[in-house]
Amino acid sequence: MTTPTRPSLDDPSLTIPVEHAGIFEPIPLARTERQREFYDLRDGEMLLNMGPQHPSTHGVLRVVLKISGEQVVDLDPVLGYLHRGVEKIAENSDFHHIISQLDPLEYVASLFCEWSPVMSFEKLLDVQVPRRAEYIRVLTGELNRIASHMLFLGWYALDLGGITPILWSFAERDEIVEMLAAITGAKLLFNYFRIGGVNGDLNHEFMSRLGDWMSRAGAQLEAGMGLLNENEIFVRRARGLGVLDRETALRMCATGPNLRASGVPFDIRRAHPYSVYPELEFEIPTRREGDSLARYLLRMDEVRQSLRIIDQCLHQMPDGPVMARLPRLLRPRPGRAYSAVEGPRGQYSCYAISDGTDQPFRLRIHDPSFLHLQLVGLLMPGNLIADTMAIMASLDPVMGGVDK
Amino acid sequence: MEVGERQHPEQVPAPSDQPGSAPAALAVAHDSDVAQPIIVPNTLWTSVNPQAYSGGLPAQITHLRQEELSGDKTDNGRWQALDIIPTKADYIIDLIRLNSLWPLLSGLACCAIEMMSTATSRHDIDRWGMFPFRASPRQADVLIVAGTLTTKMAEPLVRLWAEMPEPKWCVAMGDCTCSGGRYKRSYSTVQGIDRVLPVDVYVPGCPPRPEGLIYGMMKLQQLVKERRGHWPERAIGPTVPDQV
Amino acid sequence: MDRAFRALIERTFGDDLTGPVRQRHDETEMRIRPGDVPQVMRTLHDDPRLRFEYLGDLAGVDTGTDFQVVYHLWSVVTPDWLRVVADGIPRDQPRIPSITFLWKGAEWMEREAYDMFGLVFEGNRDLRRIYLPDEFVSFPLRKDFHLPDDASRSPGGGVRPMEDAATPADAAETTVRRTAKAR
Repeated sequence: MTTPTRPSLDDPSLTIPVEHAGIFEPIPLARTERQREFYDLRDGEMLLNMGPQHPSTHGVLRVVLKISGEQVVDLDPVLGYLHRGVEKIAENSDFHHIISQLDPLEYVASLFCEWSPVMSFEKLLDVQVPRRAEYIRVLTGELNRIASHMLFLGWYALDLGGITPILWSFAERDEIVEMLAAITGAKLLFNYFRIGGVNGDLNHEFMSRLGDWMSRAGAQLEAGMGLLNENEIFVRRARGLGVLDRETALRMCATGPNLRASGVPFDIRRAHPYSVYPELEFEIPTRREGDSLARYLLRMDEVRQSLRIIDQCLHQMPDGPVMARLPRLLRPRPGRAYSAVEGPRGQYSCYAISDGTDQPFRLRIHDPSFLHLQLVGLLMPGNLIADTMAIMASLDPVMGGVDK
Repeated sequence: MEVGERQHPEQVPAPSDQPGSAPAALAVAHDSDVAQPIIVPNTLWTSVNPQAYSGGLPAQITHLRQEELSGDKTDNGRWQALDIIPTKADYIIDLIRLNSLWPLLSGLACCAIEMMSTATSRHDIDRWGMFPFRASPRQADVLIVAGTLTTKMAEPLVRLWAEMPEPKWCVAMGDCTCSGGRYKRSYSTVQGIDRVLPVDVYVPGCPPRPEGLIYGMMKLQQLVKERRGHWPERAIGPTVPDQV
Repeated sequence: MDRAFRALIERTFGDDLTGPVRQRHDETEMRIRPGDVPQVMRTLHDDPRLRFEYLGDLAGVDTGTDFQVVYHLWSVVTPDWLRVVADGIPRDQPRIPSITFLWKGAEWMEREAYDMFGLVFEGNRDLRRIYLPDEFVSFPLRKDFHLPDDASRSPGGGVRPMEDAATPADAAETTVRRTAKAR
């Protein structure tokens, strides 16, 4: 007679077959080579899930860390928690409607999200944009770039534990954004650029706010940057962290400040100029070290260059219409157009295919943050868990654009 | 009222924040009085699998009823005797709660930026005690869902909600959470978080201005103060799954 | 529009091209077969006269009849963007070689094309869904995947348009005039 066995954790009836486990299965079914390599845990290694909700402010990104003690050995980002199907919606919308739909992609820099598709549509339609509209686009775009970089400063410091810089940078950003709200009508998702120009001309409130801000902007921004530049804790944590060398940056298709901080002086505003950038005088800051401190300092240099551009725009702004006259029902000839702009995070581009109807056949948005998240997996190994967020923050991803 | 029986229109109680609804029924709670959820049978759509969604029938006994009906009178934080008569103690407890509603840091998309803008210097939400955005759901009171909820994120978000200890409230910030917003046609978003969570306050806008979110939070404070957020008497909408 | 560059492309890739090199605004477009992608990309990357070291974009396209994969490249040699279109990928066997051996950063872009179209990139070490949950069975950006209210184009469309979803199925047919009648 067999004595009843005590319940044991090894009882096969208690285990859930891996195929039926949900998305939080501890060791998922490894379907690809890279997954098999990742989930093959050696002695002393452990998986730690940094779930879609975490204290960092970048958005819903899930990162599965493979750690050995406090050191991260490998990591696997899981995206898609903000995938909204914008490209599919775009195929079912008018050319005019799409522009507002594409704002929430890179929501902190939404004017650039509008600029690139608008340029593609203008190429499809062979529309000439009035010069005043181009200057306004550059002016508002550079203001948005400054706001975005100040937010980067705040978030980077917050991810390293400092709370004051984010309060300062949000104060800056709120000022800039109230200015933009005076002409665009919105604080975050501007919906300002139109095919053939911009929605409305500059008005008195915008100019007075801008003048007021410009008179103190230099000193104010320098004070905000100085809060971190001279902070020993910040510098010692950021220096030498996440070094990205030139060759790897090109192979990983990094763009924008992340590429320029690694020694490649590639800026679309100079490499493949668009709008009125050929007429403006500014430099492209480049740094060689490729670590997080270099990326941070580079973005601060870009803020200074943006101030210079805004100044020149104000002096050189011509008079004229702000929008080309276009019919309400737009039917471009069948064709394809690609255009890229230099956003605060990198190359933001749009590939539009038209089939002759009033809806695009295909609208493909390429977002820079998407590729930068691949870099995290390369730069992380060997660093501590707390540095995961530091590296990710220094690459400045925005999950809206990553997940589309 | 039996399950499956459609309620006569006059018998359906008006939403609690409308004038003319019966506030007395909520303010004075008897021991055996558990608020009946309004069950609207689903005639619009049938599932392919009849066993799905628990066969279309709600579970007979929820965990709340279990406690009430089993006669367990031990202290489970509900102040059994004091529940019957709203006292000054309740009033003060509600004042304490409403003045320090700690939100969970659950910004999903663009509305999170406006939520952060509400929390920082210019529109300072610390004036209402809500500055500490807790990272852990165990320490949070309010779940401000700021940003589009996708179907992939729905499970983690409901888990977060389940991990929050009671009393807890939910604020739907932004058009995407109120009704799906600009992503109404999309294949991967949840058309309004009231399909998966019980929402107390809806703050529309794309994104809502910080002043709008502050107005929504003040409305929530009003709800807490008038004990309409008080846990045993919550009326949860018909589309929310049970046990949530 | 760089005419000299067009001549250079036609000289270098003569018989690999499946169509004429087209130029419009600041873009030059060349079409190749999907099987030729690895060697064409390697030539574009390594050849000292071409030096296309910068991959701008990798997109999948569903033309309705078959698939295309479109690459956008940039080089210091020419002011134009180069668009390489790998055309004619069959719908029932959507396979194309991967370019992750040249640009590791293309790995996620190919994952996205797989997720949205079902294009299988041979040689990609990590080809799994990136945006949608793993249990999702269809490929959303294909032309036969329709959004719910796409009544005009969907096979089941027009039966219950979305605007009617709020009315119960057994509601009586009402004849409420929605517009004022002209007197």
